[in-house]
Parts: sequence; structure tokens; C-alpha cells
Amino acid sequence: MIPYMMNFFKSFPFHLKSAGVSLIRHFVMTLSASSAVMITCILLSAFLMIVGNVNGFADNIEGDIRIHVVLNDTIQEEEQIAQSKNEIEQISGVLEAEFSSKDNELKLWIEEKGEIFSIYEGEDNPLNHAFFVSVNDSERIETITNQIKELEMVDDAMYGGDSITDLISLLNTVRFGIVIFMTLLGLLAVFLISNTIKMAIYSRNNEIMIMRNVGATNLFIKIPFMIEGMIIGMIGAIIPCILTFFGYRYLFMAMNGQLFTNVFALQPIWPFTFEIMCILMIGGALVGLLGALISTTKYLHWRR
Amino acid sequence: MILLENVSKSFKNGVHALRDVNLYIEEGEFVYIIGPTGSGKSTLIKLLDGELVPTRGRVVVADTDVGKLRHSKVPLYRRNIGVVFQDFRLLPELTVFENIAFALQVIGLDKVTIRRRVREILELVSLEDKAKSFPRELSGGQQQRATIGRAIANRPRVLIADEPTGNLDPEKSQEIMALLEKINIEQNTTILMVTHDSNLVDMNKKRTIALEEGYIVADIQKGGYIHHD
Repeated sequence: MIPYMMNFFKSFPFHLKSAGVSLIRHFVMTLSASSAVMITCILLSAFLMIVGNVNGFADNIEGDIRIHVVLNDTIQEEEQIAQSKNEIEQISGVLEAEFSSKDNELKLWIEEKGEIFSIYEGEDNPLNHAFFVSVNDSERIETITNQIKELEMVDDAMYGGDSITDLISLLNTVRFGIVIFMTLLGLLAVFLISNTIKMAIYSRNNEIMIMRNVGATNLFIKIPFMIEGMIIGMIGAIIPCILTFFGYRYLFMAMNGQLFTNVFALQPIWPFTFEIMCILMIGGALVGLLGALISTTKYLHWRR
Repeated sequence: MILLENVSKSFKNGVHALRDVNLYIEEGEFVYIIGPTGSGKSTLIKLLDGELVPTRGRVVVADTDVGKLRHSKVPLYRRNIGVVFQDFRLLPELTVFENIAFALQVIGLDKVTIRRRVREILELVSLEDKAKSFPRELSGGQQQRATIGRAIANRPRVLIADEPTGNLDPEKSQEIMALLEKINIEQNTTILMVTHDSNLVDMNKKRTIALEEGYIVADIQKGGYIHHD
């Protein structure tokens, strides 16, 4: 292994030069394959921005989902309240039960429904004590709500409703669709790069034939093409990287860092754009490498 | 050095290129292989350099069973064998020096070793003064000498020359013959030379193997071209 590595480093200038010459010789093909990568990367970047932010939104919403648990009117003593809290928190999946006294409940009611209900303030308050229960997994919120309803001292329990869980599952579907679409685009880019490399191989047919004749290993023959593929991929990723940084910064500034409300707070420019740029560069290089591997392996293995 | 045992090679299109060939060539021998077009000479060369696998029988070169080599081991095996072609196949954008160095670069030798070895080779093939010339600036004979230089650069134990004089006039052909003989004697390289050139074979008598329709029809130690009617 070690002499292999040594050989690799000794021959590296040779490989780099071969790759460079080939890139320039096939300038137009390089450009077309790079632009395929570029388009893929721009879309990938847009999707990553959406996914990254949607994930952030989902986390925010999920954090906000709490079960509103109204206790029976028989529960008035502090001791009973403490015991209720205890029982609710023992249900698996429950993170915390936050007490909300009936005065607090009325205040929330007034906030929501209007000043007219302020006549009930004081002794006439018809509401019961309640808890706000937060859960650690929003997918299980329905089961947990039902479990709480079963408890003896609970009058009723409800959560934000189906609209929120619907939103979360919609976001998951969108994420899934995006992944599939991206995979298809990536495959297209791989195909285009592998075609470019195929052209490069054919134009260097003589060289390769001589290399094989004098006993160059398959890997040695492949390395310049692999480098070439990676360079094509990375050239294609440069412009999307620049667009990502300035585009996202512009959007972030224009929207004041949030989408309508602060529940939908956008990801901060740094390190979010940096992460996306890294993914684009690595993705471009990998797509190029894969394309080169496909065509060189095809070419080198159909004969001995 | 080279052993063929009951070797047959047929192709999918039904052509039987070689039929039950038995052949033994000693280390350091110089052998001509003659025969008309389509007699199986090219197939024989391809079997020897590992490009083809025999349909039946065994091909052993330098203690390696060539037909049984794994795909990934073929390049390493091929370093034992130099091949010279009729059409030279030099890389046009490289100088003579670079062409010979190329063969050593691609097997991963370091610069200093390569430079030393290329100088030796240039001296051996008498092209010291053409080191910086491009192939197009050389005569046919000089180009062929450069090709031979490239083929023997990594000291192969067997040199296969496929019609090396096919594109050259008799005088230049004799020059190439002299060079091959020199390599044969000085480096003890086993040489197989495929040729059509009856004059050359008659003038430089060596062991001669005649192929026809895939069979070995003659194997004459004292040499001389066999004429067909």
C-alpha cells in the first residue's frame, strides 16, 4: 500500500497535467457538462434553502404544539393540583406539564375572545384550572392527548388541532419529493459528465493504448480522467455557490429574517449559506467523479 | 520462456484463429513468425500479451499462466513484454525523449530513474542527437528505432515485433534487424518477430515458425523463408 501511495504522489503532477490538457482540449464539452452541473447545483441550492428553512419552521412549530388539559372543577386544592401534574408527567412522551390557574385561563380567554368576558373576573370565574402539556414527539401528540383524557381528574384535553399535524406531514412530503427530484437531476449531471469523459478518452485513445501496452495499471490510466471529472463538477458548482451566498443574503435582508411571522424565522446567513456551499462543492466533485468512473471503467474493462 | 500447450483460439463469429498449437521458445531466442494474412499471427501476439484468453490450452510466459491472469493483474504482467508495431504509434506531440520517458512515467518510476534510463536507451538505439526532435521530424527508420526504444525501456524479458520493417525500405529494414539482434544479444531479451519480409528472413537466418490457417506448418531451426505456391 505504501509504495502505491508513493507512486501516486510521484505521478501526481503527471495526472494533473493530463487532466488539464484534456479539459482545455475539450473546452466546449467541459463547458456543457459544467453547465449541467451548474443548473443542478442551482436547483439543489434553492431546494436546500427551502428544506433548511422548512426544517427550522417545523422545529419552531413543533416546539409550540402543546396540549391544553382542562381539569375537573373538583380539583381546587394545591395538593390535588400537584398530584394531577405528577400523573400527567408520568405518561410517556410528556415533556412537561405547565400549570395555568383559572385566573390565567380567563386572561387567555379574554385575550382571545374579547374584553366582554372580563365581567367574569374574580369570584365569578366559571373556568377550571388547567395545564399546558408539551410533548417530545409531535407525531404522537394524538395518542398522548387521548391518554390524558382517560385520566380521572381531567375534564378535557385538546391540542392545536389537525391543521398543525397536517402542516408537518405536508412538509415531510415536500421534503421527500425534493429528494427524489434532486436524485434525478444528479443522475442527469452524472450522465452528461460521463459523456464528456468518454469523448476525452476517445481523443486520447493512442495514449491509452500505449499506456496499456507498456503495462500502466488501470487505476493509473483512470486517475487523470477522475481528476478531470471532479474539476468539471467543481467548476459547475462555483457559480451556484456565489449565487447561494448573495441570493440568500438578499432574500434574508429583504424579508427581514422572517417569513410573515417570527414562527417562520429564516436560518441565519452564516453558517447556513456556508453549509450549502460545502454541499454544492462536494456534490459537484462527487458527481464528476462518478461520471468519470462510469465511462473509464466501461472503456477499460471491455478488453484485457 | 514461452510455452504454448495445445492452444486453440476461436472467436464467437466461428473463426478458428489458432488450432492446437504447441510451441516452446527458450529464453534469449530470436524467432521469426511468418505466414500469410489471416494465419493467426495477430491472435498469437494477443494471446502472448494477455489481451486474449485461449479457448483451450495453456499459454505460459515468464512463468505466468497468461490465460488465467485476473483482469487487474494483466497490466503488471504486461511489463514483462514489449511490443513494437508496424505503424510506430509514437505520440506526435511529444519529443523522442518524452515518448520513451512516457512509457516509464506511466508505470510510476521517479524522474531521476526515468532520465537515466532514457539516456541509456537513446544510446542503445543510436538516437542521442534526436532526443529533442518530434516524431514528424524523423525518418521512418528513426521512428521505428524510437518505438523499439520505448518498448524495451522497462527491460521487458520478451520483445514482440509485429512487422517492424513493414513500412521501411530494405536498407532501413536491415538497420532495424541489426538493432533487434543487438538487443537480443546485449540484454538477453527473447525476441519474436512477425514478418512478411522474405529477403530479411533469408538474409538473417534464425529459427522460423510458419503459421497457416491457425496451424503451425513448419518450425525450422536453421531458418529461411518458406515459399508457398
